[in-house]
Amino acid sequence: MSYLQDVFEYFDQLPLLIQIVWSVGFVLFQIILVLIIYLKILRTYLRRNEETVEKFQSEYEHLLINYLYTDSDSESSEQKEIINRLKVCVNNKFKRDIVVSILLKLRNEISGEMVDAIQKLYIDSGLVKYALIKLKSKNWYIVAKGIRELTQFKIKEAHDEVVIHLDHPKPEVSKEAQLYLISLFHFEELEYLKNVKSQLSEWDQIQLLEVLQKFDNQELPDITPLLMSENESVVSFALKLTKIYNLYDMKDELMILLTHESKEIRVQVIEILNHLYIIDAKSVLKTNFKNSSEDEQIAFINMLNNTFEVEDEPFLLENLHHTNFDIKLSVLKILKIINIDKFKSLKQKLTQPEFNQMIEFVENN
Amino acid sequence: MTKKKIVLAEDNSTLSLLLKFKLEKEGYQLFIAKDGKEAIELIEANEPQLILTDIMMPFISGLEVISHVRNKLNLEIPIVVFSAAGQEEMVLKAFNLGANDFMGKPFSPNELLIRVKRLLG
Repeated sequence: MSYLQDVFEYFDQLPLLIQIVWSVGFVLFQIILVLIIYLKILRTYLRRNEETVEKFQSEYEHLLINYLYTDSDSESSEQKEIINRLKVCVNNKFKRDIVVSILLKLRNEISGEMVDAIQKLYIDSGLVKYALIKLKSKNWYIVAKGIRELTQFKIKEAHDEVVIHLDHPKPEVSKEAQLYLISLFHFEELEYLKNVKSQLSEWDQIQLLEVLQKFDNQELPDITPLLMSENESVVSFALKLTKIYNLYDMKDELMILLTHESKEIRVQVIEILNHLYIIDAKSVLKTNFKNSSEDEQIAFINMLNNTFEVEDEPFLLENLHHTNFDIKLSVLKILKIINIDKFKSLKQKLTQPEFNQMIEFVENN
Repeated sequence: MTKKKIVLAEDNSTLSLLLKFKLEKEGYQLFIAKDGKEAIELIEANEPQLILTDIMMPFISGLEVISHVRNKLNLEIPIVVFSAAGQEEMVLKAFNLGANDFMGKPFSPNELLIRVKRLLG
């Protein structure tokens, strides 16, 4: 006690600055001590947790493999016993997560009849019920995880519960719902997109297209409702489908979309008209050329590069002096092909050195 | 008759167990490694007649395992690599390093068994 008293007396006699430094040092030391103890506890907890996960993982992996390799056409008593054991395990969230992760780990790596057996085990062990409970969660990421799980195990029966999340305010959830419908119902459910109000990002669209292209049956239903959707991103997605599946039948809808309010859509339409070689659209595009945006004009000139005819000459001459360099260059290149004499005569007529340089370039390339 | 030895290098423990079960049922002796480092140790210790290896693994990749077997241990034993979608370039590298066959994931265990039987004669 007297030693402590001496320390406090000595501390009181110290100058204020030294007292502050000692106090701060003492507080920091205590904080570090608390943090070290906290980290030690956390590390021990995580290690124990990991060991428990490994133990259960090994146990369930053996159950799964035994289930898959039990020789029987119909469900054997051994398989029934495994299902019953799993049914008990999945009541516990911790164990349930391990079971699901094991089933998924294997399902993603193998193909063939075993995949069906894994799927059957998922259903028989009662995991569908828990995935459906996730869909009712207040946390969006749990809902998204639930939908993804249902997609991965191909649970078609959850259709009605998933559909209500198509316009979920969180794009991650709506994307999972869209992938669920496309992955499980293929082209049948494509029409649902026409009513989707949320925007499909480019990444969402790429993912949907990737899923669609994996199916054996590539017969596309009528996508007119999608092309006429009020959702711009849905129209863009439908246009991508038109291009990928070469939907020449959509010609009339594409012509209507040339007057779409979005410039990006109009440009995309011109690119698809070019891809599908719909030359009937040229006259409309020529008429609207002057009132179009520069991006649309460039898209049309690119189209003209592939679809030019002798009849296009007056249009080309009209746009020889376009302000955009690329358009001007393309016009000269096309003109050189369809009427070389006219092209050569330009050199004499035009006195601007820059223009003459362009003509020389086109002439020599 | 002694069983033919196979080293399986695969970081997915469930898949390893499934393949072990399948191949042992057919009379092979399986040594399982969960990464490339363990695979090299098992190959050096057990002198297997076949190696099955995933390309992407912790510590040492499947490509390094192939390179070690062909260039350092100078073994001519058949090597089958497992690859996932999008690893086409890796597969080409594996063949350049001396792999004999490949299987793209997801694959059928029955198909793997046929290939193993063919390679081990």
